[in-house]
Formats: sequence, structure tokens, C-alpha cells
Amino acid sequence: MMEQDAFGKCHPAVNFLFFVGAIGFGVLIQHPVYLAAGALCAGIYYMLLHGAQGWKRILQLLPLFVLLTLINPLFNIQGERVLFDVFGRPYTLEALIYGADVAGIFVVMLLWFGCYNRILTGDKFTSLFGNWIPAISLLLVMVFRMVPGLMGKSKQIAAARRSVGKGVGTSTRQKLDAGMAVLSALISWALEGSVVTGDSMRARGYGTAKRTSFQLYRMTVRDGLLLATMMFLGASVIGVAVMGGMGAEFTPRLQIAPVSGWSVLGLAAYCLFLLIPTAMHCKEALQWSISKLKI
Amino acid sequence: MKKSHMASILTFLLLVPATLYLGTRLPGRSYYITSTLIIIELMIPFFLAYEGRRPQARELVLIAVMAAAAIASRVAIPLPHFKPVFAVIILSGVVFGPEAGFMVGAITAFASNFFYGQGSFTPWQMMAFGAGGMLAGFVFQKKGLPRKPWIIAAFGFLTVVLWIGPLLDCSHIFLIMSKISWEAVLAVLLAGFYANISQAICTVITLLLFGKPILEKLDRVRIKYGMTN
Amino acid sequence: MEHFKIENLTFSYPAASDRTVLKNVNLTIQKGEYIVLCGKSGSGKTTLLRHLKTVLTPHGSRTGQVLFHNTPLDRIGSGEQAARIGYVMQNPDDQIVTDKVWHELAFGLECLGCDQQTMRARVAEMACYFGIQDWFHRDVNALSGGQKQLLNLASIMAMQPEVLILDEPTSQLDPIAASDFLNTIRKINTELGTTVIVTEHRLEDIFPYADRVVVMKNGEIIADDAPGTIGKYLYEQKEELFLAMPTPMRVFYSAKGTGTCPLTVREGRKWLNRTVPDELMVRALPEQPVYDVQQKPVLTVKELWFRYEKNGPDILRGVSGQVPAGSLYAIVGGNGAGKSTLLKVLCGLNRPYRGKIKLFGKPLEQYKPEELFRNGVSMLPQDPKSLFVKKTVREELLEMDTDEKRLEQVSEICQITAVLDSHPYDLSGGEQQRAALAKVLLTQPRLLLLDEPTKGMDSFFKETFASVLQKLKQQGITVVMVSHDVEFCAQYADRVSMFFDGQLLSTGTPRQFFGANSFYTTAASRMSRGVFENAVTAGAVAELCRLNLEEQK
Repeated sequence: MMEQDAFGKCHPAVNFLFFVGAIGFGVLIQHPVYLAAGALCAGIYYMLLHGAQGWKRILQLLPLFVLLTLINPLFNIQGERVLFDVFGRPYTLEALIYGADVAGIFVVMLLWFGCYNRILTGDKFTSLFGNWIPAISLLLVMVFRMVPGLMGKSKQIAAARRSVGKGVGTSTRQKLDAGMAVLSALISWALEGSVVTGDSMRARGYGTAKRTSFQLYRMTVRDGLLLATMMFLGASVIGVAVMGGMGAEFTPRLQIAPVSGWSVLGLAAYCLFLLIPTAMHCKEALQWSISKLKI
Repeated sequence: MKKSHMASILTFLLLVPATLYLGTRLPGRSYYITSTLIIIELMIPFFLAYEGRRPQARELVLIAVMAAAAIASRVAIPLPHFKPVFAVIILSGVVFGPEAGFMVGAITAFASNFFYGQGSFTPWQMMAFGAGGMLAGFVFQKKGLPRKPWIIAAFGFLTVVLWIGPLLDCSHIFLIMSKISWEAVLAVLLAGFYANISQAICTVITLLLFGKPILEKLDRVRIKYGMTN
Repeated sequence: MEHFKIENLTFSYPAASDRTVLKNVNLTIQKGEYIVLCGKSGSGKTTLLRHLKTVLTPHGSRTGQVLFHNTPLDRIGSGEQAARIGYVMQNPDDQIVTDKVWHELAFGLECLGCDQQTMRARVAEMACYFGIQDWFHRDVNALSGGQKQLLNLASIMAMQPEVLILDEPTSQLDPIAASDFLNTIRKINTELGTTVIVTEHRLEDIFPYADRVVVMKNGEIIADDAPGTIGKYLYEQKEELFLAMPTPMRVFYSAKGTGTCPLTVREGRKWLNRTVPDELMVRALPEQPVYDVQQKPVLTVKELWFRYEKNGPDILRGVSGQVPAGSLYAIVGGNGAGKSTLLKVLCGLNRPYRGKIKLFGKPLEQYKPEELFRNGVSMLPQDPKSLFVKKTVREELLEMDTDEKRLEQVSEICQITAVLDSHPYDLSGGEQQRAALAKVLLTQPRLLLLDEPTKGMDSFFKETFASVLQKLKQQGITVVMVSHDVEFCAQYADRVSMFFDGQLLSTGTPRQFFGANSFYTTAASRMSRGVFENAVTAGAVAELCRLNLEEQK
């Protein structure tokens, strides 16, 4: 199991609400200043979570960003300043900027999902929804349990067959046949095992009463405060958005609302919201190094 | 009326139109969020209905086992990029019926992303796989098409090329395109065409080579469990 | 007070209604009793146990009834039954439902709809009692077989059952984990007063603590008595089941001992010291023939080193040895020591990074796969299920070789002719093992590798299996097996080696090898240590006793 960072140790509801907010706002708001803020926050947290490898992956996203930016104007010919013609269609500056914005949104979303996958593990998700959708949560938990087991079994079957001289061929057709035999054996084995699993469930009273769900994660006062803060900040962002503080139109003409006066509040709230995990992560790291110094 | 039925009706009559309305009112490119919300809302009734009828242990285990096998199946075949996932889902639908087919498909998509990473495509994939499995259940039910491997294989090819592939591609269109136009849709579909065709071929090969023994194995367990569908 | 009362229970499965699985079974189980149910596989033990819990009771035609606290069992709700009657099954893996240890512990309580506080308290209690707290947050997939079975037990005990039913709970575990598990069961019985009903073939560990032993044969209860008396009955009735009794007991009756029958090694030693004269006439049995290694080794390995990953630990650290032609060579050693890895290296599945393997006089790497696995070497995997692909045993065999005559020959040797048209998964554990062996034999190997072949087998299947191996040896096939099963190795192997720390140590004949060990050896050897010199099987101890007593007269 991967060790969780300070934010990851919060109640799953806190984690979930954060990512709903971060990804939701990230996709909906196309104002470039907000996008830049989002990219910065997502990038920082992504690197905190992924360490040295984080850099590499972020760099790998750059070509994708450029490609998406360049492709977009091909399909969006609106705009005032024509740069050149492609296949007789205008390729405009506005569309290019819009393309960069859309590509940026996409990259930010990928980064947030990268963080999400580290933080909101399967058991957090199922414990979060265990009370609402007990059967489906249980179904997921069972799948999580079975998948590594079946992968191990599939290797075991392949090895067993090779040790009697089956499936040692190297051509594609032979490999395919070998794989099919393994898959077939695997499904038999899994199905027969499932009979026992079903018995074990019924023997332990599955289906006799309304299921409750063991809550490993407890909602603490801090979690409650975090939730409240997140909701307040989120509401502020929505408020500013409704008042038009985040309006951004690219084509046919660039019309981007200035971030000044009251609408700075929106940006501030947005940044504060997105920085919550980073702040918690850094605070924890700092505390540790201070306590180390004291020793 | 049952709680789950109420929920379905409410979803169709209220939630979906409300989302659509809100989606059109939002400025900018809100279609990704709108469409994803609608996809999720469309799946809710199925999940609620499943919850509502309190599935038995063996139903649950069978769906879990088939979904787990579908996810693990890609490790079993020693060829890169060869994913028999959808073939396993189709076969589950054929043997265990539309509802189980939907559940196996949707759970496979969702659970496998916990291993390989969730993304913006998750709900779309759940819908694509789930509906594919459900369709297999309807098409090959008792009075439907005969359960011959080549017929199932043909069905598999068509579903992947016409439904699963395009649906997944759509989730990308909404995200990466600044303006949705027919050209853009066509371009993305064409770009995905090669990958979809190769997926479809994997599915066909798996179903042809592997369909019959697996159908027999699944039927054996169905009889062993005393399930009559 | 009576817990269970089984009255005139007769049962047959719908598919084979002419064959009754249970015949007129009458049994009363008192509160707090520790009952061992034994019998050959197929004698109806599992079917009987499954009748003690309604949701597990098989479909079929049935007469008679099962009373639980004087109420017919099927009138008690399944929720109540779930909580009050705990049932642990054979396979540690398949019983686990969820992916985390904590969730598995809570699973039963969740099903019963317990509230949060009760669940927390119970789960914490169980984790502490069973020593699970250190792996409370782990993935169940990261647990060993023994830990998994302990988890299954703990998650059932969390529901606080009054009765604990265990159906061969240790058959898939290695000896150390098995005896830990059985000790835990005893602890539950003595400390909590939970009634225990268990079927087991590792009787040495539980016989001394059982209150009653119930013996079944062909669906009937043929004996129901205290453990000490059961042995006498089985010996006098010449029941095959006598073979499954603990070693001291077998020695006692075979040597026509007098006094109370010993149940443990300690009691056995006491009895032996009392019985045989101080001045022994015969101290040791003649040495077993030593195979001439120099003449024709089938397999020679020199300084094998192997690891799975580049930076991983070495699993094999200089393995050297020779396997004489036509012998049964056993490699014993602890769990996870790398014995299975050694076999994989020997049949070319894994390549050593240093060292040499010579098979039939030719370096292993010079073989092509077709050549190596056809009339060369072949391996029987630990789990026979990993070889089953088809829907009948016959098809399984045809996958390997289409020659009908060979197929018949092999199925005769393996004694599976009767089950050729069954589904491989419908066979019993022992039959599955032999069907898999038949599949392996159809490659016509000259060297056969066996990975824990006796795992999960009861003593009769072991005997059948040993006779199969004898036949193969007569045909000139050399067999190398790795095993935990010291009793089996002592009885049937020609040479035994200890595998430890990545090396093969101390090789010898079973008498030399187990005679020299004082901990890692058979019960017979432990019992006769200091009295006799190389008696490593119950038969040998009894033989020496008899020889000495006869001399005395």
C-alpha cells in the first residue's frame, strides 16, 4: 500500500469533494489567468506526490499540449487575425490562443487525475459510498480482491503449461493459442473459486439483514472544518463566476474579463481552494523537519 | 411503486433535462461536463435498480468474478496491445443476461481504472462497456440470435466499431476541441478508427477461438448455481 | 446441554439418488465439546458438516432431521445461524471476500447489520486475540496461506459463534502454519468454551486434545468414542483408517502394546521406554541401498545461482547435487525457501545466472523446448488446477497426446480410468492431482519433477499416489520431488536432501537423513530417538519393538 500524504490521510469525503471541485472548475473555467493558476497548483501538487518522476511525466505532457494547440485552429476557423491558410481555410490567431487554452485545460485535468489516482484509492472510494450503494461497493471491493489473485493465477497457469511443453512456441499464432488456453483455464479456476466465495458470503450472513458499512475513516473536527472551508471557497468561486468575473471568449474576438477589483477575490478563492492539499503536505513535511531538528 | 422505479422516472423526467438546460446556459465550453453528467445520470437508474433488488451472494460473486477476469485477461495473453476485455464482457452478457452484462461491463471499466488510472473517460467507458454487455444480453437471449461463436464474434466486431470506440472518442472530442463541428467529430473518429478496428479484431479473434469453451464453462457454473436465466 | 442433535439423517444427491451419501446418521454434540470427524475422502464428512448450517446444506433428498438447541435447524433464521454457527472451509483463498484485512474482519458484522460501535469493538478485539493487528491494513493478497486461513477464522469468530465447524482447514497449509492454526483452534475451545467440530487429516496435532472422535465410512458413523479407544477399534476391525491415526498410536497397536494407548510423541516415548528392555538386541534396521551416484546420474547440477530480479535477493545460492537414475529424490525444507524455484530452474523455466545443469549428460541450455519437454523432463505443478483447461479429463489428456492406447495406459497407472469423462473440477483433490500427473506423464518424461505432490491429500490418497510413483520408477522414470511432507518422504523416497539458505545440504537415505535430524524429522523418529537408531517410520518402530520383544521371550 502506498503511504498517503497529509491530505490523503483526511476523510475520503474531503478528498472526493476537493477533486470534484478542482477538476470541475478546471474544466469549466476557461479564463486564462485561472487556467494558469490551476496549472501551477496542479503541477506543484503533482510533483509533491510523484517526486522525481513527476518532472518527467509533466515534461511528457508538453508535446501533447503543443499538438492539441496546433490542431484546434484547423477545426475552428473563426477569428479576426488570419495567420495563414490551410487547405484554403483560415488559420487564425484567436483560434490558436483558444486552442492553447483548451489544451491547457486538458493538461491540467490530466494532472489532477494523476493526483486523484494517488489519493482516492479503491478502499476510500468504497468506504465513502458503502452506505449509499452497498451492493455495488461490495462488488467493487470483491473485484479489487480478485484481480491481483487472478493475475497471479494466470502467471501460474502459463508457467505450469510451459513446464509440460505447452505454449513454448514463439510465433504470433502460437502465442495467441497459448494465451487463449491460459485465459480459458483462468476463467474455469475463477468460476469454481467463486462457488466457494459465494458460500462463504452466505455462511457469514450476507443478505440476511440490511448491510451496514464498517467506517475505517472517521470524520474528525479538522475534516469538518476543511469541508466547510472548501465549500465556502467553492461558493465564492461560483459567485464570482456568476457575476461574470471569469468570462472569457476567444473566437471570433478575444473578450477576456479583466481580473481586477472585486473579481480578484474569485481568483484568490480559487487559488486558496487548489492549494489546500499542497499546504497540508508542506505543513506536515515542515513539522517533521522541525521535530527532527529539535532532536 | 418501488423506490428504484421512482428514481428512474425522476432521472429521465427531471434530472437529464435539467442538466441539459443548465448546460446550455453555462458560458464557454461546458459540453464536456454536461455530457458526462448526463452519462452518469443515465447509469444511475441501472445501479439503483440493482441495489434495490438486493442481489444474492452468488449473483454478486459471478459479476465480480467476470469483471475481475476481464481485467486480468489482458495479462493472460502474451501479445502486446491484445486486450480480450470486451470479449469477456460480451460473453458474460450472453450467458447471464442483460442486467448482469451491464453490471459486468460497467464494473469492469470502473474497477480497472483503479488499477490503471481513472480519467475523464471513466464514466464514458462505464457506459460504453455496460451498454455493450447489456446489448449482448438482449441480442442473445433465449428467443434472440443463436449463440454461435461466429455470430457472437460478428456482434462483437460491430459493437466495438460502432458503439464502444466512437463513444470513447466522443469523450475526447468534448475535451480537446475548442469548437464542436462536424469536421472535428469526423477527424477524431477517423483518428480513432485504426485503434477501434484493431480492438474489434482482438475481440473477434478472442470470441472465435475462445467463445465456445467459455460459453460451456459459464453455462456449467450457471447450472451448478441453479440459475435459470 | 445439547448443541446439535442429528436424528436418523439420510441424504442423497439428486444426480445420483441411488447412492446415499449419508445413511442413518445419529449424532449428539454437547456444548463446549471438541469433536474430530474422520473418514476417507468421499465418506460423507463434508456433506454431514454442511448439514449443520442451512445455507450450506446441499440440495437433494433427505430424511431425518438436525436439531439445534432442540429446534429444527431450518426453522432458525439464516441471520441467527450466521452469527451462532461459524463455518471455516478448506481453501483459504476463495473464502476471502474483500480486499483488505480490516474489511474482511468486519464483513460478517456488516452483513448482520451491526452498528458502528459494536463493529469497531469486535474487530479490534479479534485483531488483538489473533495477533492480526500488525497486518490490519494490509491487502489480503499480500498474506501467506496460513495468515489467510487465520483471517478466515478471525472474521468468523468476530461474530461470536457458539459452534465452530471446520472442514479440513489446514489441508492447504504448510506443516508449521497448520500446527499454529490447530493450536489456535484448541485455544478457542479451551479459553472461550466454543464448541469445535473439525475434520482433519493431520490427526497428530489434534487427537490428543479431542474429546471425541467420530469415524465415518460410506456415509455411516461406524465409531464414536474417546481418541484412545478409537485406535483400538480401528485396529481390531482392520479398518483402513487406522493408517491415518497418529504415529504413537499406530506403533502401540501394531507392536501389540499394553497399557493406555499413547497419543502424543511424549507419551509414545514413555511407553517405548517402559516396553522395550534396556539392553536392546536390535538397535537399528539394516541400511537402505545407496544408489550409485557416480555411475549414471540423470541430473547433475553444479553451483546454481538464481534470482528473479536484477537487484533482488538470490533465491538459489550455489545449489549442487546429483540425482541417480531411477530414484525417487526428495528435497525437503521450510516454506518459501525457494524449493519450487529450484524445480523451475531445473526444467528450464527460469535461467540461472551462474552454474551448470546437465540433464541426461547434456547441458540444459543445448536442448530445444520441443526436445526438452518431449520424452525429457516434465513438471507437475503444486496446484493441479493450473493444468486444467478442458471440460473432461479425457479431453485434458487428448490435449497432450492423441494416442488412445497410451492414454489408456497412463490413466490406468494413475488410476483415473473411472473418472475420464468427469469434469476435472468435479474430482476430489487426490483425483485432481493424479489427473494432472497423467497429463504430465503423457509427455513421456524420463525425469519427472513434482512440486508438493501430497498437499491436501489424505493418507489413503497418499498411499495410492506412492504406488503410482513406484510404478513409474519401475518403468525407469526418475522422480525429483520437493515437499514439506516429511512423513511421506521418510516412507517412500530413496534419497532425501535438505534445502536451506539457497543450497542443498545433508543428503542421505531417509533412514540416514531423518535418523540424524532431531527436530526436522518424522514423529516416529522423534518418538524413538535414543532408543532406536534409524527408525523413521511408524512401521520401522513397530518392527524394531517386535524384534526386541521376541528376542526377549
